[in-house]
Amino acid sequence: MAEKQTVDVEKKTPAASPPTGIQVIAREFAKDKLAMTSLLFLIVLITVIYVWSFLIDQEQLMRISLRDQMAAPGEKYWLGADKGGRDILGQLIIGARNSITIAISVTLITGIIGIAIGLITGYFGGWIDNIFMRIIDFFITIPSLMIIIVFISIVPKYTVVTFVLIMSVFLWVGTARLVRSKALSESRRDYINASKTMGTSDGVIIFKEMMPNLSSILIVEMTLNFAGNVGLETGLSYLGFGLPPSTPSLGTLVAYANDPFILENAWWNWLPASLLILLLMLAINYVGQAIRRSADARQRLG
Amino acid sequence: MSFMQIQDLRVHYPIRGGFFNTIQDHVLAVDGISMEFEEGKTYGLVGESGCGKSTTGKSIIGLEKITSGKIIYEGKDVTNARRQRNSAYNRDIQMIFQDAHSSLNPRKRVSEILAEPLRNFMKLTPDEERRRINELLAIVGMPEDVKLKYPHEFSGGQKQRIGIARAIATNPKLIIADEPVSALDLSVQAQVLNFMKDIQKELGLTYLFISHDLGVVKHMCDEINIMYKGRFVETGTKQDIYSNPEHIYTKRLLSAIPNIEPATRDERKIERQRVEANYQVENKKYFDENGRVFDLRPISDTHQVAMTASEQGGN
Repeated sequence: MAEKQTVDVEKKTPAASPPTGIQVIAREFAKDKLAMTSLLFLIVLITVIYVWSFLIDQEQLMRISLRDQMAAPGEKYWLGADKGGRDILGQLIIGARNSITIAISVTLITGIIGIAIGLITGYFGGWIDNIFMRIIDFFITIPSLMIIIVFISIVPKYTVVTFVLIMSVFLWVGTARLVRSKALSESRRDYINASKTMGTSDGVIIFKEMMPNLSSILIVEMTLNFAGNVGLETGLSYLGFGLPPSTPSLGTLVAYANDPFILENAWWNWLPASLLILLLMLAINYVGQAIRRSADARQRLG
Repeated sequence: MSFMQIQDLRVHYPIRGGFFNTIQDHVLAVDGISMEFEEGKTYGLVGESGCGKSTTGKSIIGLEKITSGKIIYEGKDVTNARRQRNSAYNRDIQMIFQDAHSSLNPRKRVSEILAEPLRNFMKLTPDEERRRINELLAIVGMPEDVKLKYPHEFSGGQKQRIGIARAIATNPKLIIADEPVSALDLSVQAQVLNFMKDIQKELGLTYLFISHDLGVVKHMCDEINIMYKGRFVETGTKQDIYSNPEHIYTKRLLSAIPNIEPATRDERKIERQRVEANYQVENKKYFDENGRVFDLRPISDTHQVAMTASEQGGN
């Protein structure tokens, strides 16, 4: 049996791994042209927005200049100016950056909290599960939008950071519930029992053994959450409960359309922001759907 | 001399119900069993589905909570300590799972799977660890290039051999084999079983062999415990059980072993019907009014049967 123990084969053998989440997703994108286009569009758009926003001085941008009130698109302002004489294009870039930054931060924060709590409650079950599920039930029953609006009205000086934190308080519960349900079934599998009998500690089992096996649904959940979170800031700003007025925002730009005069005579005030939101949401949703399909073997195209 | 004793092990699960979700009753999955393990022997645990065989194995290794009873390992009571992951008990008792496929983490390579117990229990340098993994693969007769493969790339028998390699990685004393071959086809069953016997001789292992396949148990075991409804109905050596079954349940179980001899088909049918009729008639003698199995009563040095005749209660 044991003739050649010293032969080191580690370099020779090509590692044929099971198709991991990433590989399956890559195949799915290769098959779905729309999702691929959306992904490229998103990457380009986000890069442009972030780089450009660095070049814009926000104070300068938000300075009111009455001479340029409602300036039509032209040499000075590519996309015209609003009723305060402020450049629409600059506001568009900064607004989009804020929306995306908020979406990414909220997705990451709620993702980390939700996944950690979901995995832990699903793995341990019993009273830990019970306590957390009651907390989650509580969060789901309270009307979160009302509470967020109240929060925003009473917090004296709020910025992107406080906004992200307030949103995150309410949004981790969905992820936690989903992850818990998957972790419940995964933690009853034999390989978890085997790890227990081999003396691996609970923390290592949860995050190193169980989590990689749930990676596909975690990626899907995060992407779809991201798609939803992009609209968060925009929606609240539209209602007037978003970031402070000194901060440019897509929601504020769209809200200009509430004024019949602007709606009729100054399309450049509201149309670019609306289009940007539309394209952004569509692109993220197509990407999210491709990723979701790749997580379910029956729906896959690739 | 036995190195490990199990005394009056009980695993009861509460049945909840009613308006306040209170405990209404208990499922007596394992209800008072005692065993002793000697080095180098194989102990069989046989019974029908749901009689508590697997629960017994899992509670010994610490995957199930014990309701009452004691596990004594090398003179020390480890009933509570066994749930601490890094104890010596956990190192010395290992398990082979029924479904080899699901007992291997699909996201880990064979080398990582085999390294897991080594890293937890033995402080090895990376070099020693690699040598030990090669050694383990050699013991289970697999080439070294499987180290970089993932579990799904192996056949059922190969997976089970990886499971066995993992179980013997820390030089354990007792291996609990929970139906290790029932998921494999017959040709591979024989291969894995013979191989388990070989490494037993080589490494001086003790097996607790859980199975419902009486042929396999006859092939593997020195001592056999027949289990029914969470209790032992009969324990004894292989000869005691197979040539001199005393309990009606054991007789019934043995008569159910399939035999592909067409000539004696009718005789065996009559024999089976006789055993079954006997089972119905003598029911009272072997089970109390609740259907519970009586306590074991010794009838020879090695042979114990659960019967009503004695009130002092065996064991």
